[in-house]
Amino acid sequence: MRYVKEIIASRELLANLTMREIRGKYKRTVFGQMWSLANPLALMLIYTFVFSLIFRVKPAVGDPSGLDVFAVWLLCGLLPWTFLSTVINQGLVTLVDNANLIQKVYFTRIVLPLSVVGAVGYNWLFEMGVLVAALVVVGAFVWPWIPLMFVAMALLALFAAGLMLMLCIANVYFRDTKYLMTIVLQMWMYLTPIIYPFSLVEKQSASVGGLLGTSVTIVDVYNLNPMVHFVQVFRQILYDGRWPDGVEWLWCVGWALGTFALGVVVFRKNEKKLAEIL
Amino acid sequence: MKNIAVSVEHVSKTFRMYHERNQTIKSAIMRGRTSVHEEFQALKDVSLEVPVGSTYGLIGRNGSGKSTLLKCLANIYYPNQGRITHYGRIAAMLEIGSGFHSELSGRENIFLNGSILGMTKKQVQAKFDEIVEFSGVEQFIDQPVKNYSSGMYVRLGFSIAINVDPEILVVDEVLAVGDAEFQDKCFGKFRDLKKAGKTVILVSHSMSTVTEMCTDVAWLDKGQLKAVGKAEPTVKKYLASIPGDPE
Repeated sequence: MRYVKEIIASRELLANLTMREIRGKYKRTVFGQMWSLANPLALMLIYTFVFSLIFRVKPAVGDPSGLDVFAVWLLCGLLPWTFLSTVINQGLVTLVDNANLIQKVYFTRIVLPLSVVGAVGYNWLFEMGVLVAALVVVGAFVWPWIPLMFVAMALLALFAAGLMLMLCIANVYFRDTKYLMTIVLQMWMYLTPIIYPFSLVEKQSASVGGLLGTSVTIVDVYNLNPMVHFVQVFRQILYDGRWPDGVEWLWCVGWALGTFALGVVVFRKNEKKLAEIL
Repeated sequence: MKNIAVSVEHVSKTFRMYHERNQTIKSAIMRGRTSVHEEFQALKDVSLEVPVGSTYGLIGRNGSGKSTLLKCLANIYYPNQGRITHYGRIAAMLEIGSGFHSELSGRENIFLNGSILGMTKKQVQAKFDEIVEFSGVEQFIDQPVKNYSSGMYVRLGFSIAINVDPEILVVDEVLAVGDAEFQDKCFGKFRDLKKAGKTVILVSHSMSTVTEMCTDVAWLDKGQLKAVGKAEPTVKKYLASIPGDPE
């Protein structure tokens, strides 16, 4: 509890460091903040071209929204994913990059990684804003679901923060973490139903049946990936326009709270040693 | 009100000296260990009490553990044994301008650095003019700090740090910044702090600075406390111990 108080007491520092990340990032660029939208839009064009036009991936029509636009369906899963991967990529190195600060000034260390979540989250808000606009343009009635979208965003932010807190500590001990995570994130993305629908996995799983003579199916293993549930929830809220499945919600809440708590504990255990190890 | 600002009780600090350090997973797995090291004791059972309102100097040769003790005082290192207790808000000035973002303007950096040093936005706003005036960079305050000269850079950093207005200020050999005029201003500021009853703990190699500014001095040698006491006699003892260097 005292730790929570300490974090709350440094909220201004957290805000200032977040602003430092946001303001410093696009200094001396012509397009500024617009660049944060460029990456997801480029990915959207590439994936739509490859998977919709060439591979003919056909996600189910939004139920009950009736939407049938691959690019929008893709973005509903892609934007949460890029948020997670950006948080991890940028947050991993934050302690090493700010080694000088950590060795010279005392402050609540956890604000450094958390400010990355703040800065990336700020960009994510823009992206989701564009997505909502796109949903409205293609004729979805998203307005009532926006509060729920924010809840899902907060949960994913907790999950991302918890994971990143552990990884940035790991990166202090082993600088390999950064390079390893590049590969892990690549694989992770394809193990998550972002560019293909979850139903395809279910179909394959049903045709294979139990693995190695047990009753465990591919879907059961597949479901261990927390991002499966997050992506499903985002799709159900935004694309389908409905209350997400209860089970999916529970998975998300569980993963978010569990990972965040573990991340904070791991970080706390190690933060006092940081100045020496770095 | 206690008369002690900081009490240091039996503090020891050991570092690992690495002969071989493997910060890659591969070598950790292949060799079954991450490092080969031996312990180095930087501080051995140091106990001292810093009285409120004193200007406390830490002296000693290079490698005697002064900076380690200072970092322990500033909560950057944590002692392996012993305890350090602060009575009052502490601010540390171990390096000037750490935490500046080079692309941001002087103004933005004042707010950023102020909050890193533990000030609230309101406190920074209240002190803003004073900070800018003291640093003497009024004209360039909206320029990115990367365009500052190194003198302007440290002056701005120093001005922020000195205006944090803590009860206890910890300073590491940073007084040698800026030109003669700015140094005068700094010394003046330290005198003001002293008058206001604030405690200052500093490390310096300049014995003239120490005798001029400090009321009490602790002399560290090879991590051990050699002598503690009033400034002048302790400094004399220290100087006498250095063969052929009367300064």
